[in-house]
Amino acid sequence: MNAVGGKGEIIVDRVTKTFGDLKAVDDVTIEIPGGEFFSILGPSGCGKTTTLRMIAGFEEPTSGRIILEGRDVSFVPPAKRNVNMVFQAYGLFPHMTVKENVAFGLKVKHTRKAEIDERVAEALRIVRMEEFAGRRPAQMSGGQQQRVALARALINRPAALLLDEPLGALDLKLRKEMQLELKRLHAATGTTFVYVTHDQEEALTMSQRIAVMKDGLVKQVATPRELYESPTSAFVAGFIGTSNILAFTPDSWRDGMAIMNLDGGDRICGLESAGQKAARIIVRPEKMRVWGDADGELLSRVRGAISDVVYLGSMTQLIVRLTTGESVTIHELNDDLQGALPAIGDQVVVKWAAESSFILRDDAALGDPPAASD
Amino acid sequence: MATTAAHVPRSSTRAQRVARKLRPVWFLVGPIGVLVALFVTPLIILVVMSFQHSSIYGAEAGFTLDNFRMLFTDPIYRAVAKDTIIIATTAMLIQLAIALPLAYFIAFRAGRWELFMLLLLVLVDELNPIVRIYAWRMLLGREGVINDFLVWIGLIDQPLDWLLFTKFSVILVLSTSWVNYTALPIYAAMKAINPVLFEAATDLGAGWFTRWRRILIPLAAPGIFVAVILVYIPLFTDFATPGLVGGTSSYMLGNSVADLMVTIGDWGGGAALSLLLLGAMAVIAVIAYFLSKLNQLD
Repeated sequence: MNAVGGKGEIIVDRVTKTFGDLKAVDDVTIEIPGGEFFSILGPSGCGKTTTLRMIAGFEEPTSGRIILEGRDVSFVPPAKRNVNMVFQAYGLFPHMTVKENVAFGLKVKHTRKAEIDERVAEALRIVRMEEFAGRRPAQMSGGQQQRVALARALINRPAALLLDEPLGALDLKLRKEMQLELKRLHAATGTTFVYVTHDQEEALTMSQRIAVMKDGLVKQVATPRELYESPTSAFVAGFIGTSNILAFTPDSWRDGMAIMNLDGGDRICGLESAGQKAARIIVRPEKMRVWGDADGELLSRVRGAISDVVYLGSMTQLIVRLTTGESVTIHELNDDLQGALPAIGDQVVVKWAAESSFILRDDAALGDPPAASD
Repeated sequence: MATTAAHVPRSSTRAQRVARKLRPVWFLVGPIGVLVALFVTPLIILVVMSFQHSSIYGAEAGFTLDNFRMLFTDPIYRAVAKDTIIIATTAMLIQLAIALPLAYFIAFRAGRWELFMLLLLVLVDELNPIVRIYAWRMLLGREGVINDFLVWIGLIDQPLDWLLFTKFSVILVLSTSWVNYTALPIYAAMKAINPVLFEAATDLGAGWFTRWRRILIPLAAPGIFVAVILVYIPLFTDFATPGLVGGTSSYMLGNSVADLMVTIGDWGGGAALSLLLLGAMAVIAVIAYFLSKLNQLD
């Protein structure tokens, strides 16, 4: 862990931003060490873009501070901060060529022409757009414009690169390509990347750590794996990947397990200490089994009927309506299947290990969890 | 290979389709006819007249270049042309200096007042120009409002002579005529600029002057050129303003035309001068058009 003020380090320190009555960002604290690929993830209106804009300098915090490389830059204008932004609509200057666009930041600083030429060539090489130097933005595709925008920002060697949902306008295949491209650029330049998106898959693909936001609050900051496997709230569990969320009211405890007994020998087990009150239990789709085997100390098992079957090549997605009334999404590998695919209406037994699930306290402040089949 | 739909009869014949396509064109016969009658015809008459001798007794038949010769050789016309160029160009530049910040403000900074300010801008020129110019006479005269005010606050002892009936007054009044026609095209061009571009420029370190110079003006340039085309021509050929507030010392080509045709009765000369002015304005418009396209060259 570097001391405060390392190169490219960003600290959002208890920042709040209000617009009139609306609290867009509510007492948010985020610490990003230099060189990290950090994402801010959340649904529309959660405050992620406002937070990014405060780091860039386009908004000023109502309270709290923005600290960049050890310096308080909360009220420093964006032109004077050593960060650069890639905008959602790229913002390339339409009346300038690619070369002039990329050189803009250096021209503003009155850099020598020879140095400008050299650094522009280098920047275009890094984003692999060398042949486009003489083109105009209108003559290029979205992906190409995207890369020019990146070059234009990176040429200034900023302490951090801020990206505001830059891949939203691209088609799926191009988006996947650009995600890998961004990872490569990040590794090549060592610059801190702060990436804002509402696409959880995108965040999981590229980031080293992610802050999940909702309604102006940071719900959880963790690595992708931690967010997926150990969400600390129903919201995060529902937002990241698919989750099955079941009501859980244990009635007996043994060996550190809480057990909720249901009719017909069915039961749901969870790792719990004794005496806890009603909560919710979360199980990822790939941990539930219908035809494969589930291993574990104590198995949860619930009967149900299949309501949908989707064949996805390597796996099958099943929607099963349990006897508890809840529906769950199950991902089963087709390798483990012997015989035909199950059909809609089949009666099955859904099994999973208690260790593969986790319990969430009923968090009334978060509202209802999203539906199980996200 | 016959498709399953081969037996379905066609919906219309080729002749019917052609007739339908030409239908919109019929509508134009009326408007074009009016245009030819009321616009092109007088223009043709003007051209014909310019090549004829005429006086208060009427026009003589025949073809002559004397009218044009007179305009090019008589030194008085050269002097008037010089004055006209100076006055009109100065007024145009002042108008741009007013219109650019105004258009910028309305386009980017007016917020919920934008529509209101646009309305004001349009209303500014609704007033009859003659009435407006007379109002300036009230303001600028020796016993006018401005002189009275300056004497009253003690800045001067005697009223200023040069406020009215000088080049100054003509330039002043011309600078404020048709400002809405100057500002509106520039406003429209500025509205078309994506505001993200300014944020991007700021993010890259540009101060307000750099943003104006490298982003705003180049992208608003088409609007500026339209403004010049729209306004420079009326400024150049105006005769009411110099007639009412210009006195004897500022005499513009528009006045020359009026004099030739009305006072002297030389319709040939007047027509010739009008044609020359028309030609000069056309040249300016074409130049301005091509300058505005410079932006979009590959």
